[in-house]
Amino acid sequence: MKQGLWGVFSKGLVLENPIFVLALSLCPALAVTSSVINAMTMGLVVTFVMTMNNWIVSIVRNWVNPNVRVPVYITSIATIVTVSELLLQAFAPLLYKDLGVYLSLVVVFAIILSRAEGFASKNTPLPSILDGFGMGCGFFLAMTIIASIREVIGNGTFLGFVVMPSSYSPPLIMILAPGAFILIGYLVSGCKMLIKHVENSKAARGETL
Amino acid sequence: MTAEHTENNNSFIKIALNLTCACIISGIIIAIVYFLTADIAKQAQVELNNLALQSLVAEADQYTPIEGKTGWYTATKNGELIAYVVPAESKGYGGAVKLLVAVAPDNTVMKYTITDAKETPGLGDKAAKSPFIDQFPGKTSNNLVVTKDANNKEDIQAISGATITSKAVTKAVKDAVDGATSLTKGGN
Repeated sequence: MKQGLWGVFSKGLVLENPIFVLALSLCPALAVTSSVINAMTMGLVVTFVMTMNNWIVSIVRNWVNPNVRVPVYITSIATIVTVSELLLQAFAPLLYKDLGVYLSLVVVFAIILSRAEGFASKNTPLPSILDGFGMGCGFFLAMTIIASIREVIGNGTFLGFVVMPSSYSPPLIMILAPGAFILIGYLVSGCKMLIKHVENSKAARGETL
Repeated sequence: MTAEHTENNNSFIKIALNLTCACIISGIIIAIVYFLTADIAKQAQVELNNLALQSLVAEADQYTPIEGKTGWYTATKNGELIAYVVPAESKGYGGAVKLLVAVAPDNTVMKYTITDAKETPGLGDKAAKSPFIDQFPGKTSNNLVVTKDANNKEDIQAISGATITSKAVTKAVKDAVDGATSLTKGGN
């Protein structure tokens, strides 16, 4: 890893965006993106859990036996999620009620485990925290983009405010899972084009990535 | 600071010990947090419950639990009964849908709130919002049926794309009204 700390953080935003490029954690990208507010809350929760987990994994990485590293990482993720669940239940019961079942599901998100295994287990705490935070921001960004498009087209609202004229009849498919699949397909190809474009222009200037 | 795992680290006992330690530490952390937050969470739950009651029958000044019926309340104002608050539950599209229904003493629906549901966001969760929820006040048990006929103003119009949720909510409200009716007939 010869990137600077900024590189560690920023790669999660576009170049290695969890949803659009790594294609991990597509499940929440389909399930929670029918309204912007849900998607944003989910993005924040995942960012928090991933940053915390990367930090803990990078601290304990020298004590964890490589044969059981995945169970240990999952235990760590599950602990963080459970603790946040308990805290939310006590101090923000309304938010807890809204997130409900999705909160427990954060434990099994592929992106969190993959960052623990792929980055935090090989790096010191500071870059690991930045990696988790950057990836989390990328996830948040992707979720918000998907949800904004789905909510505006599929429901005619944005963050609950009506933005489309009243004569607009929203196509149901955007709210349902197939619409999300189609949309994510377009966004993935859009992201690929963008990265390609950046690479080409950098190559033209004689730089390497 | 690189990870160094030598061969003797891989013995069966060491691996088991490693995982056991991780689980014990995690267990202790969760236990401590639970110990610290359990009371606050319980209190928050009670407050949330009171808030739900208040938003349901705003004009009442006292809520008394009905004896022998967990979760049932009578809402009174200056000693005069204005509503029964009845919990109801039925099976929706994504699992159980739980409601609190306010039933007026003349056995018509006043209002309901959905306390717990896992219905599809953007479709099924419209059951908690206008215009679906506006159809209920004043309805009697007989009119609590879902219809897809747009001209039928008597019954409950289904939410398009969420018929199962509409039916589940309507059935739960009907159950609540029937429950309250049998309660008043029982001469409580």
